[in-house]
Amino acid sequence: MFPKQNDALQVMSHAVIGFPNLAENEKAIDGLVAAGVNLIELQVPFSDPVADGHTLANACYDALKQGGSVQATLDLAEKVCANHPDVNFILMSYLNPLYRYGLQALFDKAAAVGIKGLIIPDWPVEEVEPWLPTFDDLDLSPIMMVTPNTPAKRVERIVNASRGMVYVVSRMGVTGHETEWGEAFEAYLKNIRVYTDLPLAVGFGVRSSDDLNAITGKAEVAAFCSKYIEWQRHDGSDIAAEKMKTMIGEMKH
Amino acid sequence: MIRSNNGYFGEFGGRFVPEILLPALTELEELFFELRDDPAFWQEYLTLTQEFSGRPTPLTPLRRLSEQLGGAQIWLKREDLNHSGAHKINNVLGQGLLVQRMGKKRVIAETGAGQHGLATAIMSAKLGLDATIYMGADDIERQYSNVFWMRQLGANVVGVETGSRTLKEALDEALRDWAASVETTHYVLGTACGPAPFPELVSYFQSVISQEIKQQSMTQIGKLPDEVVACVGGGSNAMGAFSAFLDDSEVKLVGIEAGGLSLEDGQHSVRLLKGTGEPGIAQGYKTLFLQNDDGQLGETHSIAAGLDYVGVSPILAHLSQTGRVTPDSSSDTEVTDAFQLLMKTEGIIPAMESAHALAGGFKRAKTMNKNQHMVINLSGRGDKDIFNIARAFPQRDWTEFLQREAERSTDQINAHLATELAG
Repeated sequence: MFPKQNDALQVMSHAVIGFPNLAENEKAIDGLVAAGVNLIELQVPFSDPVADGHTLANACYDALKQGGSVQATLDLAEKVCANHPDVNFILMSYLNPLYRYGLQALFDKAAAVGIKGLIIPDWPVEEVEPWLPTFDDLDLSPIMMVTPNTPAKRVERIVNASRGMVYVVSRMGVTGHETEWGEAFEAYLKNIRVYTDLPLAVGFGVRSSDDLNAITGKAEVAAFCSKYIEWQRHDGSDIAAEKMKTMIGEMKH
Repeated sequence: MIRSNNGYFGEFGGRFVPEILLPALTELEELFFELRDDPAFWQEYLTLTQEFSGRPTPLTPLRRLSEQLGGAQIWLKREDLNHSGAHKINNVLGQGLLVQRMGKKRVIAETGAGQHGLATAIMSAKLGLDATIYMGADDIERQYSNVFWMRQLGANVVGVETGSRTLKEALDEALRDWAASVETTHYVLGTACGPAPFPELVSYFQSVISQEIKQQSMTQIGKLPDEVVACVGGGSNAMGAFSAFLDDSEVKLVGIEAGGLSLEDGQHSVRLLKGTGEPGIAQGYKTLFLQNDDGQLGETHSIAAGLDYVGVSPILAHLSQTGRVTPDSSSDTEVTDAFQLLMKTEGIIPAMESAHALAGGFKRAKTMNKNQHMVINLSGRGDKDIFNIARAFPQRDWTEFLQREAERSTDQINAHLATELAG
């Protein structure tokens, strides 16, 4: 289940399928779950990930060399969804790999293996809306993105198309850089809550315990992704999971 | 002029970008829609191209070459005579007018051969804007003379080291910059690709080429040409050369893509022919992309950096599907042959990109009769290709000169550093 509005802050983390390799993905996900992570994005690697900074883009390039693909992602999803029934697995992908697979077939398959949500950063709300009945039938939640420069009217349209939660892009730019969590950020979240009761997942720039503490009480989910992938790259998946566990243990409640 | 249906041309086009870029694209589209039917705006644009870039560019008959080939009468539309040496400046000057209206002070651009980057650097110098140009690291090596001039003009040239290090990655990186800077920065997209409204907007400014061809044909030939031929990378010079003729069904429109070494994967940049590009959605738009079954964009090759691109204008993808545009391709060797032929028979040095249109055009012209007329769009001049051409036609005296020049340049740098240290 996705969290509810005003639930205590949860960490969402990440796997790029094929990074560092397909065998290690499953082990890394087990480590994240053991560390207390209940929301995990499974990212289909892509050759041209334009919303991602260099950490995730480079993980994509490496993952593709290791055989990362849509099919590999679905295969892994089938295993991890079965192994961890209490965890919400979210398929994150740029549109083209899914489009080539066939959107209807992909959504059917994703729902069948136990995927709960979708994050597709280059699929604008106008194109998503016609698919909402399909998603609702399949109990597959499109998690749409709101950004700081999204006009109010469009925020309303986006949150209305969103299911499960709304992904709040914390600042301008791509993933993998720092964010300031000041009054402007709080006002930004408040403006989104005017239009929705869905929980808010804050992403882009969540890189430390301090960031998590700054978001606590303001949003329900913090997407801790690029930094975790950096840990994975530099320290390996086991130590990355330990660091995650320590960090979650330090979170204020 | 072709008009999109809400950003789409048939099934192609659209606007598939991260949410963060939407407001800037909407702002640009609103401004463009407001201006494009205003004759005063078009006149302002024409005046700028006349004063600054020498428009109209000539339509040059190739009398000796046409005689030698023994087919159609061939004419060249001389976009190589633009300031900066290529058609790219048309679009950039037009977007410069939009930047001024939006009040933005910084521009970014992607570039392949460097002609669009150079044109952007020129426009930025002229208008007093900050410019950052993203260019694949491999393309920088292929087109260093353009990099040199961009930097002299004051632009910041950033080499992109990811992936296949060519135009595709430069475009990705420009989009990443724009996601962070969109409120103060305009993205001067260089070709008729990318998210709406760019394909339509770039084609609008480039259509000045075919409007001139039309007038010049009536004056110089006495009728419309039988064929118009252009090379197709992203598709901006082709859209420029074709736009005004779309409703003239008697004028055949032919787009020549880069056939490269062969039609094997990774050895060419052909997207419009059957069995090459497949429908896909990436880099902000839907078109025919070279890609694998998993939807990963493919590797490309061309002797011409400006044609070395994995996607193609959604307008051209649509027009080739409807049959209005005939796609064809020329191989690297056909291109170097055509390059030499034009140079030695007519005294014109073409860009390697444009030499694709020559190779494709010459082949077709031979099968046509002497009463027929073909216009080939010579999109750019070949000066920038001096190092590539020298490599394609190796000559000892050039290599020896480069060695002497490298020594002189090293001595000069060392002397300069010594003076600085002493000072």
